[in-house]
Amino acid sequence: MTQTVTNPTGAAFDRDPLLEQILGPTPGQMLRRRVLGHQGLLIGGAVIALLALMAIFAPLIAPHDPFAQSLMNRMEPPVFLGGSWEHPLGTDHLGRDYLSRLIYGARVSLLIGVVAAVISGVIGTTMGVAAGYFGGRVDAVVTFLINVRLAMPVVLVALAVVAILGGSLTVVTTVVGLLLWDRFAVVMRASTRQVRAREYVAAARAVGASTPRILLTEIMPNIANNLIVVVTLEMAHAILIEAALSFLGLGVQPPTPSWGLMVSEGKTMMLFEPWLVLIPGAVLFTLVLAINLMGDGLRDVTAPENRN
Amino acid sequence: MINFVLRRLGLALLVSLTVSFLSFMLIFLSGDPAVAIAGEGASMADIEAVRSQYGFDRPILVQYFAWLGQAVQGNFGNSYYFNLPVTDLVADRLSVTVKLGLCGMGFALITAIPLGVIAAMRPNSIVDRTALLFSVVGQAIPSFWFGLILIVVFAVQLRWLPASGTDSWKNFVMPTIVLGYYAMPAIMRLTRAGMLDVLNSDFIRTARAKGSSELRVMFKHGLRNAIIPVVSLAAVQMGFMLGGSIVVESIFALNGAGYLAWESIARNDLPTVQALILIFSMFYIVFTLIADVLNACLDPRMRSS
Amino acid sequence: MKRLRNFAQALAATCLALSVAPAFADKANDTLKVAFTGEINNVDSYFNTTRGGVVLQRAIWDGLVHRDTATGEYVGNLATSWEWIDDTTLEFKLREGVVFHDGSPFTADDVVGTVEFIANPDSGVVTQRFVSWLAGAEKIDDLTVRLNLAEVFPSALEYLSGPISIYPSDYYAEVGPDGMGLKPIGTGPYRVESVKPGESYLLKKNEDYFDGPKGSPDIGTIDIRTIPDVNTQIAELFTGNINVAWRLPSDLAQKLDGTPGVMVTSASSIRVGFLMMDSAGRTGDTPLTDVRVRQAINHAINRQEMVDSLLKGGSKVVNTPCFPEQFGCVQEYVEYQYDPEKAKALLAEAGYDDGLSIEIYAFSNQDYVEAVAGYLSQVGITLDIKMLKFPAVLDKMMNDAAPMVFMSSGSWSLNDVSAIISEFFKHGAVDFARDDEILEWLDVADTAVDPEVRKEYYGKAIMKITEQAYWAPMFSYNTFYAFTDDVDYTPTNDEILHFVNMKWK
Repeated sequence: MTQTVTNPTGAAFDRDPLLEQILGPTPGQMLRRRVLGHQGLLIGGAVIALLALMAIFAPLIAPHDPFAQSLMNRMEPPVFLGGSWEHPLGTDHLGRDYLSRLIYGARVSLLIGVVAAVISGVIGTTMGVAAGYFGGRVDAVVTFLINVRLAMPVVLVALAVVAILGGSLTVVTTVVGLLLWDRFAVVMRASTRQVRAREYVAAARAVGASTPRILLTEIMPNIANNLIVVVTLEMAHAILIEAALSFLGLGVQPPTPSWGLMVSEGKTMMLFEPWLVLIPGAVLFTLVLAINLMGDGLRDVTAPENRN
Repeated sequence: MINFVLRRLGLALLVSLTVSFLSFMLIFLSGDPAVAIAGEGASMADIEAVRSQYGFDRPILVQYFAWLGQAVQGNFGNSYYFNLPVTDLVADRLSVTVKLGLCGMGFALITAIPLGVIAAMRPNSIVDRTALLFSVVGQAIPSFWFGLILIVVFAVQLRWLPASGTDSWKNFVMPTIVLGYYAMPAIMRLTRAGMLDVLNSDFIRTARAKGSSELRVMFKHGLRNAIIPVVSLAAVQMGFMLGGSIVVESIFALNGAGYLAWESIARNDLPTVQALILIFSMFYIVFTLIADVLNACLDPRMRSS
Repeated sequence: MKRLRNFAQALAATCLALSVAPAFADKANDTLKVAFTGEINNVDSYFNTTRGGVVLQRAIWDGLVHRDTATGEYVGNLATSWEWIDDTTLEFKLREGVVFHDGSPFTADDVVGTVEFIANPDSGVVTQRFVSWLAGAEKIDDLTVRLNLAEVFPSALEYLSGPISIYPSDYYAEVGPDGMGLKPIGTGPYRVESVKPGESYLLKKNEDYFDGPKGSPDIGTIDIRTIPDVNTQIAELFTGNINVAWRLPSDLAQKLDGTPGVMVTSASSIRVGFLMMDSAGRTGDTPLTDVRVRQAINHAINRQEMVDSLLKGGSKVVNTPCFPEQFGCVQEYVEYQYDPEKAKALLAEAGYDDGLSIEIYAFSNQDYVEAVAGYLSQVGITLDIKMLKFPAVLDKMMNDAAPMVFMSSGSWSLNDVSAIISEFFKHGAVDFARDDEILEWLDVADTAVDPEVRKEYYGKAIMKITEQAYWAPMFSYNTFYAFTDDVDYTPTNDEILHFVNMKWK
């Protein structure tokens, strides 16, 4: 954390802990994190792979149609609470199979995570790389935009926008994607500055390589590691925000099986049938935990330049 | 130094202005305010009466500057819903949110810093791993879900704590834990990283060589140096926390500004939403400004451009 | 170590004591704690449209007349007798010796002041439909007053017994609606001690309440708090921090029933749920303009199953666009039995064998909407559900952007179909049918003096609405109440908590 890159404004976002960790951990830290990280990486990766497979093959795995209701069989308990194997995780308030909805719910969460991270990644990386590479006015403008973005309370703004446009998978994904680019911009800006100062970039410039060429062949490959780390962490962030929005009733629309929505729908009966809330919440927690573990792991394993 | 502060202040002002315009525009895209004012269960005649009474017909830019002119004087107009000054309404609720924010930050600091220090003292030990696990869990746990679990366990099963309201300190225990746990991981990690850095530095080795006790080394030399960035991170996190208290407040029915914001969004209460977005943003802007100036005072490198 | 163990024991003992000690302190200090779900924008009853607002209105103020909820008869309240002078003039003799909470006497001036204020459109009363039939009032003497109607209005007494209450005219003129909302003064059984807007309301028994038809208040203090989350309300009910929760979801109410210390009761309600369909084609080219599609939707929904498993209690399937016991809700209609095969056949006939997709907007009862979507998917109709907040839904409706809406109407607790059918079928912004014939009939029915004529014309409208399947009427609602078991109260069917009738056991 001693290698903080300074900027004209000395803005607080330069002390983002993630930035500190990506840019300059000490060798001792690195080593330890690598050891720990590999474990995390393996566990996290395995869980994500499992959930991703579940999402992809949902129609094959799910025991029932996640939308098929049966009002006569409402809120049947899971098998471990005395339910039947017909519905291993019970049924929801409309008699829909909970396990099937959970399995399909993985699609929603992963889709939102991936797409939102791509949207915010494209915006944030473009801004960050431009600011870091060109510096000067470009940097000043980007820094300003980052400051503006950080000043706006994410959940509040997302709620307001979704309330106006009406919730749907598309709207929520887009809104979250448009709001979460700040960390990409911060990290990519700092990484680009670091890389830009290296000899090989100067060399490329000296031999007259064009700017796009330098950006593509010299800069991008050297900041890709950091980018991947931010992508994973922002995926987790996006998934959590979608769940929170859906929970507050301003996210994806029913009957879409979103985990946040399932918690919200189960909430009414929380005191009597707590499993309605516990199960989708636990799965959501597991996914986000796994992504974070993988992100941490990736950070430790990659970023070789920063190992001094 | 003065130069830096002025420049930083200028930026803060510019950011505030931009945010104010964005929040104004954002809310202006929403539906018919007359419907919102008339309220649920209003008939068509009711709505017409409201619309003719309020008259939403001026150009948007004119409305923005009129609004901004009033806003800088602390006047955000009247809430469409309550027909009371937004300032009074918000001031009342803001105290709850700020109280919650301070408690949450306090909780985060008193758990994160000791954990971070201990983890750094015994790197890769069980303690370190537990602390790391604790922080990874904190980052991943959905706060609405965590809050619901706490209610089920502590309010309903054990009946130790009230589930809602703001009557006594007991009401703040669970919201504090949920909100604080949200801010804790970042602070813990930064403390730990900072401590590790400092502990590996030359002057600590010198202090150790001189025979200072381990505790003295830790606190006098180590923590004092590692804590500087933590303080500024805490300031930034505080800004985020206040903006993020919306979920926590809605679960625990804390009648704070976050909850007011959620309700106001639902009822299209434009003046209140505008004021709240601006106020939450201002919190963040002011906190980061303080953090930056503070840091510049402590660390001259930050001042150089 | 020993000290630690002692400490642990002490801690455990404290926790145990805390967990078993009943917190029901309310009967002892004569304070009934009540939870409201929604915030009330202004306690002044002419400036809010919330359920909680109606509850407060009935506690704080009185109307000229009172409708006995058991018999449906109108009896005098602030008035003792009345007489129709002509079709648009109604004369009242007022009760003597009534005083407002601030000690000022109630006279004809207060009636005139209140009526003149609310009848004036410039006053901005938000509940216009309750007052627009009034033209003004004149004082005959201190205890005699005449109301002048703007039009022939047969349900005048119903409105005077409900939403129209009398305010102290001098005080109201001085403080206005906002001042009244913060420091309400009325003649009612409870006076207001304090109002924290949107947060809490503290009421005290009016010791000087007159011996009127509402009865006399028993409980000393009513402490109302806004608790938006129903689970939190229940948690508070368990711990005795509140005594009354109402309008609970049926599942929750059912589970609560049988919890020691808690008593659950339900009352059927005048509220009716229905699907509105864009039969007039206001949203553009929609399959809903085809009567066969609308009939198919009516046939496809198993309303009885929804009533049995979702609504429960005293809810009933409703086949009319109004609550069956309301005045004018003639029970002659075209009935659509649950018959998915017939629905499919109708859709095929209309040329939709391959299924169709329709957007539906709703602002509450998400589970009902999802259930409807579930049934419709069985016959090949995909509903694209848009759950929005109420203002947003109304906005869509008024801007012709909602092809289908799930809606419920409680007729503002008015026992007259003009409050529902005339609201939705007289070519207003929320009229999805825009049927000229129905408009004509409703104009006759709304202004006819003879009850039989009114019934006849409302009946014609109901027949055509069901025949054309302009709506899919669904069911009547049912309000669930939960009390701590020291509260003695029998709920009424008007979705209103009557504090004046509550007692301690």
